[in-house]
Amino acid sequence: MDDNKYIVFALAKGRLAGQAMELLEKTGITCDEMKDKDTRKLVFVNEELKLKFFLAKATDVPTYVELGAADIGIVGLDTILEENRRVYEVLDLKMGKCRMCVCGPESAGELLKHRERIRVATKYPVIAKDYFFNTKHQTVDIIKLNGSVELGPIVGLSDCIVDIVETGSTLRENGLKVLEEIRDLSARVIVNQVSMRMQNKRITEIIDKMKAEIDQ
Amino acid sequence: MISQILHTPDGVRDIYGDELVLKNEIINKVYDTFHLNGFKDIETPTFEFFDVFSKDIGTIPSKELYKFFDKEGNTLVLRPDFTPSVARALAKYFKEEKGPLKFCYKGNTFINTSEYQGKLKETTQIGVEMVNENSIYADAQMICLVIDTLLAAGLEEFVVSIGDTEFFKGLCSEANITEEIELNLREYISSKNFYMMKEYLASNDINSDIIDQFGYFSKTYLEIEDLKNLKNLVKNKNAVKALDRLLLLKDILSKKGYDKYIAFDLSMLSKYHYYTGIIFKAYTYGVGDAIIKGGRYDNLLEKFGKSASAIGFVVLADELLTSIMRTGHRNVELKKKVLITFKEDYLKADAKALELRKSGIIADVIKEPSMNKDEFESYVEKGGYSEVITI
Repeated sequence: MDDNKYIVFALAKGRLAGQAMELLEKTGITCDEMKDKDTRKLVFVNEELKLKFFLAKATDVPTYVELGAADIGIVGLDTILEENRRVYEVLDLKMGKCRMCVCGPESAGELLKHRERIRVATKYPVIAKDYFFNTKHQTVDIIKLNGSVELGPIVGLSDCIVDIVETGSTLRENGLKVLEEIRDLSARVIVNQVSMRMQNKRITEIIDKMKAEIDQ
Repeated sequence: MISQILHTPDGVRDIYGDELVLKNEIINKVYDTFHLNGFKDIETPTFEFFDVFSKDIGTIPSKELYKFFDKEGNTLVLRPDFTPSVARALAKYFKEEKGPLKFCYKGNTFINTSEYQGKLKETTQIGVEMVNENSIYADAQMICLVIDTLLAAGLEEFVVSIGDTEFFKGLCSEANITEEIELNLREYISSKNFYMMKEYLASNDINSDIIDQFGYFSKTYLEIEDLKNLKNLVKNKNAVKALDRLLLLKDILSKKGYDKYIAFDLSMLSKYHYYTGIIFKAYTYGVGDAIIKGGRYDNLLEKFGKSASAIGFVVLADELLTSIMRTGHRNVELKKKVLITFKEDYLKADAKALELRKSGIIADVIKEPSMNKDEFESYVEKGGYSEVITI
């Protein structure tokens, strides 16, 4: 509706942001300010195209987008499912692919076959609870950890863990293995509900271009 | 202890001063528009029996309701939404009435949402409901009222997105979809997750013609051509009727010159299950959510014993207030405000104030406060007084 307004992107910090910017660059959207590794800026602007970019902790990206501080967000599906925010999920970027899995020592496999109560350590309590309650109908004690979740079964904190598995090498090194797969994950583009309507033309154009690039 | 007394619980807040003045101004403008359109006031209780808001009625999920018990053990609920309350009241007092009923209301609603989402749990809603009117003209009238209301509140840039729940329901029944699949689809469509929707439909062996029709959900701005194309593709009678309604609506609104404010979006499926026909939401800059929500609900009154069609909408006053504050669309004339201070002669100050008030000026009388010059100047400035009269 209004071409003078900025379209604001929130990108999940880390490798994903770099990959996403590469993809955007192919569609003609660039931000030279961001390439400067030493910069201390928080918000990067492309005046010509009226775009702004900022990097945020992955778990905060859906929040920025839901509340309209950013129009478009790029973040992993794991975060979207865990945060459960009201945003439009419009595109699968097919990058950052990995799986959400239940992992543990071989012996824990037996515990998953019954509906007996077990202890599960995870960074993703919402996803873990949903899986055990609604798919497996098993009662679980969920222990929220903030990092190095693999430690859980090793030091006897929990029977198993729910976590993201990319290559599985960390698991193997620690004598753990994938016991069950919950779902495939990848990076997604999310859009604020109001922006989708008020700035529909520009946002649709950006998304269509990204989609064309991915489909190639 | 004292620090606890100062705080309010999460999700509720104090509102005062200029912000409240602006909020009340907005509410009054909206309410005036409703009255000018022939709506009469109705006030329902703040809390009601649980059954009025139960799953069967189709309002918000039970876990998000504020519930408590009365002395007899009945479960009571703080209203999360006005529509079921008003529907109940109208079914009760106008059971035999066949002519159109038009009512408007304002008040606070309470939804126990999760913490830390930046959302209020107590919000002000101003709304209208029109009962016993099922024509397309009632639909058009309501959409026009939405637009007139927002214009009256001082907004210029906004979009009213219009969809029709019967279209989705029609497609689902055509495809013979189970309730579980329908629920999942609803989720994908309302979060505009169309690649997942397509995968999901394909994995459930839905035939490709139907999948193509579902593809139209992905557009946020459907053109007339899209609606016409879709009409040729769709076989389900109810879905076709829904498209006819939208086309007719478009025609009426275009002739009125209101088509610049509207957009057709079939993916709009409300989480309130009582909606049965057209459904609409208005959006503007400055807020992350809709500022008006509404639609047709022809089966709701029947649950309270009166079979009657109905349509209505609510203005979410807090969201509208935020938008107007952030985008600076405030266009109200402020009244002149004068401060009169006196040392001893209260009656003289009072007489002066009365004289000013008669000519519509706000006159505030205070005993000369014990402040130094700077403190007093800042007091005058904060109070927004244009003049100080010392008696």
